[in-house]
Amino acid sequence: MATSSKFISEWWLQRVSAVVVASYVLLVLALLLVNGTPNAAQWQALFGNVGFKLATLLALIATAYHGLVGAMHVWPDYVKSRAVLAVLNAYSWIAAAAIVLWAVYILFGMK
Amino acid sequence: MADTPLAKSRTRPVYRNIGFGELSNYRLPIPGIASIVHRVTGIALFVALLFLLAMLQMSLKSEAGFEVFRTIIWGNILGKIVLSGLLFAVIYHMVAGFRHMIQDANKWLDLPTARSTAFAVFGISVVLTALVVWRLC
Repeated sequence: MATSSKFISEWWLQRVSAVVVASYVLLVLALLLVNGTPNAAQWQALFGNVGFKLATLLALIATAYHGLVGAMHVWPDYVKSRAVLAVLNAYSWIAAAAIVLWAVYILFGMK
Repeated sequence: MADTPLAKSRTRPVYRNIGFGELSNYRLPIPGIASIVHRVTGIALFVALLFLLAMLQMSLKSEAGFEVFRTIIWGNILGKIVLSGLLFAVIYHMVAGFRHMIQDANKWLDLPTARSTAFAVFGISVVLTALVVWRLC
């Protein structure tokens, strides 16, 4: 029971996080298509905007979660060794945590 | 029993587990290719994101850092190829993801539609990637 409801909420969160990331990607692609190559001042002004900082952080948290769930589902389909699988799962957790912590540092802690 | 057409029965195909040597005789159908590319781009992006964050940090740290990215990484043909590949991976994973979510809703599941939409995912991704790269050159 607990396990099946965990899978259902994981399934939904995988889709919700996908939509969050896709919205951010579409926003950035639209900005690049409309404005072309930014210069340093424009690029840093964009990431200096608090709204854009929050959108970026939200997208990266969603990406970390989405990537972690995806990776944990994909590895066992191709890797049968328990030891190698444990290493890949550990890597996935560390990468997901690193993405979130690093994003917070880049967006709100740097300088 | 003497009349049994033995020769004919011996030419019937034999089904066994396939080995590596025979793999080239089997081709994944296009929806299968679309699915495995979705997985490969997903894993590649999950790994590459840490390197992209390093580049984002450098580009935001100072004007000089941004110029290093623009002239040395994006200005290098190898850097341009790798980053364009990652851009394709982002766009492909997103477009293929939309298709998979529509399939989650039990739509587009018949074979002709599954095939045509798999082709469309590749086409849309290539065109959109080319458009963005062209805009950034």
